[in-house]
Amino acid sequence: MKIEKLFRRTRFGIFAIFGVIVFSTSALCVYTVNTQLSAEYEINSRNIAKTVADSSVDILLNRDMATLQSLVDQFIEIQGIRYIYITSETGEYLAHTFVPGIPEAILESDHRSTEPVEREIPGMGYFVEVGSPILAGVAGTVHVGMDLDVVALKIQRAIGQQIYLVAGILVFGVLAAIWLVNLAARPLGELLAYAVDLARDEDEGAVSDREILARDDEAGHLARLFLYVARNGPKPESLKAAPLA
Amino acid sequence: MLTRKELIRYGLAAAVLAPWGRALGGAASRFLQADTDPADTGAGGPLHAGEIVLGVSAAFSGPSRGLGTELYRGASAYFSRVNENGGINGRRIVLKMYDDGYQPDPCVENTMKLMLEDQVFLLFGYVGTPTVTRVLPLLKKFQDENIFMFFPFTGAQPQRQPPYGDFAFNLRASYAQETAGLVNNFVGIGKERIAVFYQADAYGRSGWAGVRAALAPHGLRIAGEATYSRGAPYTGTMRRQVEILKAAEPDAVVCIGAYAACAAFARDAVDLGLEVPIANLSFVGSENMLKLLTEGREDSEAYTRLLVNSQVVPSYEDLSLPSVREYRDLMARYDPQVPPELVKEEYAPFPHSFGSLEGFLNAKLLAEILRRLDGEVDRARLEEAVFSVRDFDLGVGEAVSFGPDRRQGLQTVYYTVVEDGRFVALEDWQAKFA
Repeated sequence: MKIEKLFRRTRFGIFAIFGVIVFSTSALCVYTVNTQLSAEYEINSRNIAKTVADSSVDILLNRDMATLQSLVDQFIEIQGIRYIYITSETGEYLAHTFVPGIPEAILESDHRSTEPVEREIPGMGYFVEVGSPILAGVAGTVHVGMDLDVVALKIQRAIGQQIYLVAGILVFGVLAAIWLVNLAARPLGELLAYAVDLARDEDEGAVSDREILARDDEAGHLARLFLYVARNGPKPESLKAAPLA
Repeated sequence: MLTRKELIRYGLAAAVLAPWGRALGGAASRFLQADTDPADTGAGGPLHAGEIVLGVSAAFSGPSRGLGTELYRGASAYFSRVNENGGINGRRIVLKMYDDGYQPDPCVENTMKLMLEDQVFLLFGYVGTPTVTRVLPLLKKFQDENIFMFFPFTGAQPQRQPPYGDFAFNLRASYAQETAGLVNNFVGIGKERIAVFYQADAYGRSGWAGVRAALAPHGLRIAGEATYSRGAPYTGTMRRQVEILKAAEPDAVVCIGAYAACAAFARDAVDLGLEVPIANLSFVGSENMLKLLTEGREDSEAYTRLLVNSQVVPSYEDLSLPSVREYRDLMARYDPQVPPELVKEEYAPFPHSFGSLEGFLNAKLLAEILRRLDGEVDRARLEEAVFSVRDFDLGVGEAVSFGPDRRQGLQTVYYTVVEDGRFVALEDWQAKFA
């Protein structure tokens, strides 16, 4: 006889606990990856902007715009960098990587600002932009835009991997829990079936020669107790406090 | 006495390190040889006995393959005749060529190969600003080897000024001269709102800077600007760029690009009603641009009537010039073709073009410089040989001179417009565009 109702809550509990684990670890993963990647990207952008700014000084002073553009083009090949532009101290765009033109959102921004700013550029995406002054700002400013979509993609990948892992553990854990519960429930089922047989007043051979009576666990004790009660009736009041086994 | 274990260990280590050791040893010996024996620094070495090997990295594939091909054809025509006549002081001119597809990284790799493996005598006939600007630092790095770049097909400033100007010699006029000429002529006929359409790289920026600098003395600024990505094909759209520039209401547009993109821009400009003069620099590859705009069109005149292209060599139709006659004669005689191993895409060359004439003049002047080495093929003497060129008649109506402060041979810029399906000299800006 199968035991169904007794462990329904246990199974639900296992699912609930794993669900909480999945959601909490995923949320923690999103937060950690987002925070760390964003911070790392911002630091990288700032370093790149500073490198370009430091390298640009002589080039700018020589008014060699082709070399300046060549320098910018080399940095744009780094993964995650979507745009670089260099403005003069008067706000003129001396070199940039925009095609087909400089977006309005950039044109309207403060060309001297070096603080990190998140911006959406229609048709291009979401970016975090940092700036670095050239010659303390008197020769211009370098601005580097890092693609936040790349960060989002990396977060998606990290969460995806996390969810795959936890979902795998969940499936394995639930299957293992079901197997263990069933293992624990089997003697109870046998005990239940034995009690039913006793109640039906089966013949002596059918009820006294059963495997469950030989078990050295709680199910075996209960089975022997049921058999005793079935044969002898309830114990006198004076023996009710005595141990069963 | 080594134990069996030690023998196996040392054997494995030797097997792993041997190829690296050979490679490193080879590279080291090449450098040592070049450092210690000036006679072996180039074509004079045992690998190139009887030859002067010139290293070429240029665009023979991709949307700009016409530029490299035409330049090569002109140079090859002249060198073929030199070799047929016994070479230079008994040495044949050999071109060691690689394709870079007009991309900077392959160009840098090719140049390393040319300098270190092929041990070429000098670099010649490079195509493009983004490529050349990336190679120039290599020349500075190996400055003790005296490897010079001769006559690149670019008018950009980096190879004309410090810190890399000392490692290159130019024949053609600069983009600054071309753009200044265009701007001054436009402003002269009242077209003061000048917009720029340019390639988003060092070449485009060089031209942009030229226009900006030329407008400044007139108290003017660039009226509008739009960019495109290098390698854009003619089949692509430039409508967005046209819309950006149209919004700036320009009187004229100066394009700094290659023929495929500039032809696409001119096409879309006409289609979208931007009816202003569209100027192109010499690098564009005028014949290829014209071919794209006219082939298979009945209304081609509508797309070409407002074009004005600056050139840095005279017209190949000008038979009054001795070098033009010589060029046409040798092109007909040799009809040079790019070596089959470099041909990846089909390209039908032109019998004559501004690009091949420039290549021809480059080769003619280089041959003269090599002759001035008097048989002593030594890189260390190259600069001296170049500086000995004073008032040299190249046969184009302009004397060529070089010196420590003069590393560009020609200064003249020519302006051409399309008439009867070909580029002819523009005589009167007012009559044409006003």
